[in-house]
Parts: sequence; structure tokens; C-alpha cells
Amino acid sequence: MIRIEHLHKTYRTGFTMKPKLALKDVSFQVEPGQVFGFIGPNGAGKSTTIKVLTGLLRYDSGTVLINGVSPREVKSRTFIGYTPEQPYFYDYLTGRELLKFYGKLVGLDGSELDKRIQWALELLHADKDWIDRRLRSYSKGMMQRVGIAQSILSKPKLLILDEPMSGLDPVGRRDVREAIQELNNMGVTVFYSSHLLGDVEAISHRVAMIVDGRIVREGTVEDITNSCSVEYHVRTRQGIPSGELPEGVVPAGHAQECICGDDAARDRLLRYCLDKGISIERMEHKRPSLEDILTEEIARADT
Amino acid sequence: MQTLKHIFVIAQNTFRESIRDKILYNIGFFAVALALFSIVLGEWSVFDRAYVIKSTTLSIMSLSGLLISIFVGISLVQKEIQRRTVLTLLSKPISRVAFIVGKYLGLLLVVAVHLVLLTLVFYATLALTGSEPTFSLLIAVYLIFVEMAVVIAVALLFSSFSSTILSALFTLGVYAAGHLSNQLLEQVRFASRMGEVDASTSALFEKIATVIHAVFPGLYRYNVTSYVVHGVALPDMYLFWNTVYALGYVGVFLAIASWWFSRRDFL
Repeated sequence: MIRIEHLHKTYRTGFTMKPKLALKDVSFQVEPGQVFGFIGPNGAGKSTTIKVLTGLLRYDSGTVLINGVSPREVKSRTFIGYTPEQPYFYDYLTGRELLKFYGKLVGLDGSELDKRIQWALELLHADKDWIDRRLRSYSKGMMQRVGIAQSILSKPKLLILDEPMSGLDPVGRRDVREAIQELNNMGVTVFYSSHLLGDVEAISHRVAMIVDGRIVREGTVEDITNSCSVEYHVRTRQGIPSGELPEGVVPAGHAQECICGDDAARDRLLRYCLDKGISIERMEHKRPSLEDILTEEIARADT
Repeated sequence: MQTLKHIFVIAQNTFRESIRDKILYNIGFFAVALALFSIVLGEWSVFDRAYVIKSTTLSIMSLSGLLISIFVGISLVQKEIQRRTVLTLLSKPISRVAFIVGKYLGLLLVVAVHLVLLTLVFYATLALTGSEPTFSLLIAVYLIFVEMAVVIAVALLFSSFSSTILSALFTLGVYAAGHLSNQLLEQVRFASRMGEVDASTSALFEKIATVIHAVFPGLYRYNVTSYVVHGVALPDMYLFWNTVYALGYVGVFLAIASWWFSRRDFL
């Protein structure tokens, strides 16, 4: 559905038009039917990539294809629905008028348009009285719902959402999460960026991590977390002097607790405990979360 | 066909945006008030009352049309970019040319409605004061509309690549140049004939004036108030050729605006 290969994008900013490389050799693919999470810190290149996909930004080099069509062609946008980050709309319109306007732009009209608007509003729990009020009176949550509603009116094959859950209250986040999953169940491919990594872990089939304009990790959440070393947090029944801890095992603030940095350190600790007759009270293996990995990647990029 | 529909939908929304804008009502209100005030002016003036009412009202139409064309025109594209509504709009399967043309036609419709309303006030004023509401006055109103069609295209062109304030200044500059270019050329030629400047300087000035006259749209052509107020007939095909002339400029300005807008990145 999305194919990006060796994408480069440079911005020219300021009076001197100094170039700044925003995307550096970005490559990844999104297969049809996936929910694909795109994560990274602020300024990493998430919105730039999304704007290249939606034809709002031109790119320097590389291949970008949506359903086989370049975003430089208007045709590519017949496949997509897009909601920008913190969507702004014409505040002199009501929510319903806005949806009618966008619906007409994607070729809908008459009763078909009314039906489609109703369907989108119901999906997003937005079929309320406020939909007939002017948008200038809307809260962030209402605006986000209308934003997503306008992007699904055409029943797109690909839904692109830039930070769809940011700034929403827990109920709003849950509604958006559920809407994404429901649309995906209907066959819509969803590509979205987010800072809320817990939500990304919960609903994404695959994830790409971008830091400083480069893709640093890509795969399923499990692939990414499995690719990192696992820590073992161990509690023993008797205390072990810190000087006697095997290689790769570090104390965890208590004589009976220690942390094994990898599988080999764990094995050495177990052998030591068997030799000394120390019984194990508890052992937990802790896989790093996406947040841990992202933090690590940001720190690596900074150095 | 699809592009025409997109243009229509965008024009419709631009029209709706403008008629929900307070600026338009303020300009419209003052224009109507001034048109009615022309009756008082007609009474006070030493000139013929009908002449004062006709020339004053046509000037008001031209000025208020200009204010709408410039101040709404320059904000049409800039507002979309600053409020970031352009992101959602251009992510739809519409071309940027359709966006520019739709915006243009939407504002043109606003100016047309404004002029129609003022024309009704104009004719009512003339009828009430017994000041010969002749059909020929509509020619002057039509030419004001054609002139505004050019001015809106200029405003849209500048607003596609520069800030609101600069766009206003550039558009006013083109408007002034368009009205004065003919006089400038005549003055330079007159000075040259009278031998007030030396030959080489005179030739240089004439070249500059000729270039200004050729490049800027000759908006002076659309000011026919004195002709219609005094009942002087315009040359044959005057309306036709000046409409074609305006369409040519509108086409060029919109083509440049669309080309420039198509190359823009939206952050």
C-alpha cells in the first residue's frame, strides 16, 4: 500500500535558505490491511514523511508510491484519507457543513453523502447535537473526531493520521483507538504517527521508529523488543555479597536482589546459587518497551 | 468534469466564507450609506443633481469593489495557509489549479453580488430623485466588474507567494500603475514633443513608460463614468474587446499563481 525507498527531503529555511536534511534515506513498506505505527521524537521527520505521502511536500530523491502511484499525481490521493496533527478547519462552518464540503470534494453528493456522514459520525461517536454548531465552539476532542470523520468519508483504502490521539482525554483516546481498529477490520490500511507508545504497542501490526530523519527500527512490536537484550530481575532467599556476584550481574539496591544483564549472566547466577545452596524466591524477565528503545535510540543519535 | 466540480465546490465555499465575514458587511454597509448620501450631495452641489448622484455612486461602487477585491483577495490563500486548512483541502484528490481557480471564482461571485446590490440601490436612488435611471449606466457597472475581475486575479497572484501586507501593497501598486500608465505614456510623449528633455533621456523615458504601459493591465479602460454620465456613446465593440483584454490578463495571472502554488511546500 505504501512503498518508500531511499527518501531524502531537505528544507531550506531562513533568509539564507540554509539547507536542513529532514529525511535521510528513509525506506519502509506498509502492506495492505496493516495498522502501521510511525513513532519518533518531535522533529524526527514523522510529519514530513506524512506530508510527502499526502503530496503536501515535494521530496528531493527516492521512490514514494501509494498503491503504486506517486504522491506527485493527484490520482494518489483518491486512495487516501488524511487527518493532520491538530486539525484546523473553517470555523465559520458547522461540523456537518464541513463534512458536506469535504464529501463533495471526494465525489459524494445527495443522499449518499448524508448517509456517509452519518456512518462516519456514528463510528467516531460524534453523532451528537454539537455537530450542527459552528466549529469555533469545538473542543479539541470534537475537532479531532470531525477531522477523522472527514478523512474517512470517501472510504479510503489507506488512512493516514498524524498524531490522532495527542491531546485527547482517555475516553477520546479510546474512541479513536477503537475507530482505528474498526476501520482496519473493514479492510482499511492505517498509517499513523503517535507519541503515545502504549497505544502504538496495543494496536499496531508493525512499527517504524524514526530518529533524526533516519529509520532506526522497523518491524512488529515483538520483533523490535525481542531484538533488544532482556534483563532478569532476581530475588534470592538469602543475601549475596555484592563482591561475589558473577560477571554481568549487578546489585539492585538490596542484598537479596540483583539484575542479570543477559541470558549468560542469568545462567552464571543460577550456577552460583546452586553451588552455594541459595534458593531463588522470584525471577522476572523484563523486555524493554518501545519507549525504552526509543529513548535509547534518541540518546544514541544525540551522541 | 471532476475538476470543474472541484472548482465549483471550492468557489461555493469561498463565497460562503466571504459572506460570513464581517469585513464584507462593513464595506457593503458604508457603500450603501454613501450611495444614499449622494442624494444629499446632489442637493448641495452646484452641478446637476443627476450628474452628482450618478458619478458619486459609480465611484463608490468602484472603490468598495476595489476594497473587497484587495482585502478579501489577498487573504484568500494566505488565510488557508496560516490556519493550516490548506493541509486537509489539498490532501483531497483536487489539483492546486482547481484550488486557485475555485478561490478566484468564489470571490468574483462575492464582488458580483455586491455590485448587483449596489446597482439596485443606485437605480432606486435615481428613480426616487427623478434622475433618469438610464440603461447605459449598466455599462459602467459592468466595466467596474470586469476591472475587479483583473484586480482579484492580481491579489490572488501576489497572495500565492507573499505575505498579506506585501500582497496588499503590490496589488495597490498594480492598480495605480494600471490607471496611470496611459497618462504616464502621454505625458512622456508630450514632454518629448515639447523638447523639455534632451533626446536620449526622452527616448529612455519613453521606453520605460511604454514597457509599464504594455506590462501592467490598462485598468484606465474600465473607467467610463464620464462617458455614461454625460450620455456619450462608447466606440463599437468597446465592451467586447475590453472584456477579452481583461480575460487575457486574468488567464495569465491565474496561470502564474497556479504554477507558483503548485511548487509550494506546506509545512
